[in-house]
Amino acid sequence: MNVQEYIESGIIESYVMGLASEPERAEFERLCALNPELLAARRKFEERLEGYASENAVIPPPEVKVKVLEAIGKPDSRAEIASIPPTIVTMRNDKEEPREKGTAGTPFILRLLAAASIVLFLAMGYLYYQTKQENKDLTDTNDRLKTSLDTTKNVLDRIVKEQADVVSNPNVTVVNMVGTTVAPKSSANIYWDSASSNVYLVVKNMPKLPSDKQYQLWALIDSKPKDLGVFDATDSKVILQMKNTQKAQAFAITIQQKGGSPSPDLQKLQSMGKTLQNQ
Amino acid sequence: MLALKERNDQAFGFLYDNYAGALYSIIKQIITDNSELASDVLQEVFINIWRKIETYDSTKGRLFTWMLNIARNASIDMLRSKSYQNSQKNQELPDNVYKGVANQTVLQNVDNIGLKKVLEKLKPEHRILVELAYFKGFTHEEIAEMMVIPLGTVKTRIRNALIQLREYLK
Repeated sequence: MNVQEYIESGIIESYVMGLASEPERAEFERLCALNPELLAARRKFEERLEGYASENAVIPPPEVKVKVLEAIGKPDSRAEIASIPPTIVTMRNDKEEPREKGTAGTPFILRLLAAASIVLFLAMGYLYYQTKQENKDLTDTNDRLKTSLDTTKNVLDRIVKEQADVVSNPNVTVVNMVGTTVAPKSSANIYWDSASSNVYLVVKNMPKLPSDKQYQLWALIDSKPKDLGVFDATDSKVILQMKNTQKAQAFAITIQQKGGSPSPDLQKLQSMGKTLQNQ
Repeated sequence: MLALKERNDQAFGFLYDNYAGALYSIIKQIITDNSELASDVLQEVFINIWRKIETYDSTKGRLFTWMLNIARNASIDMLRSKSYQNSQKNQELPDNVYKGVANQTVLQNVDNIGLKKVLEKLKPEHRILVELAYFKGFTHEEIAEMMVIPLGTVKTRIRNALIQLREYLK
């Protein structure tokens, strides 16, 4: 066969561009292996085609590269790697196996993924621990709040009950204590049960006192004061049971030394309220 | 090349950067009307290159030739796939497919890129044959049937067209 004629037949172009039939391809490959001239002509056309294609390149959308690199780094390609000859993949203990082969066979992306997995695992572990810890703290706080709420609720129930008992009792006289010129803002209510002689005090607004002082409640019976007990400004809004008295034309509150005193210091009269009881 | 066969992904990134444009160009010359599908094909082509790299035989041709044929085959497969056919709004009836493709080919002279620019320089009867064979992936037999010309004539004309093409690539 005349090589020049064969070349001029267009077989090279057909072959390179993938248009040759299977028998034509087989023949061409066989002849190429035997004939350097044919091989050189094929190479020349390939280079020309490649050069032309490169000159006429169209820039693809940048996300394609990202997707390709993602795809080849994923399980699909890992499965693919597992199928390449075991000399590269199989981890052997015998030392004749060159070590670098193993590492070179592992793509950078897989090593990167492995490293990333470890980092992720550690991060997850830390997050898990942290979340668990936070959860425990929250549970503890919740328990404490619940206990506190229960206590508060009990106290409140008791107060409401006592208050209801006192207020709804028809024998109870309400005495509104108003502030004196010394303490115009001071105010409190006395609930006085004339039947049982029980005296209850509700502090509405009493200024705070130094720690060595206390308020003292007095009943004024025939202009004589009778001690009904001491209380603090901090007892505000709570119903306090004081000492009993059968009689009282008025109630008065003074400031005394802590613990109270047998007779009132009327200079420090804070609040006073008259009952409807006749003298 | 060795680095590629060992699936070194840096070498692969280099390969992509160097050849994606040229391959995308050939894909777009085949899938002319849908850039989204064309870039899907490019993606598939590079994934296939990565997976099949060890089957590349350098005695049979340059790496670019091998990749170019993968790209061309993948594009033609896409052209014939159901998803592509469904994406075409004015589908020809099956009986008229050949005629439809032939008409389309004659009309499609605007916006030609790459090798198609070279095809412009060929005689129309040559151009159509190369277009059908190379860019539409029809076999010589199919072309002979649809153009109603003898198979031998198809072969000769295509060969002659390719020889001219070679001259224009200089």
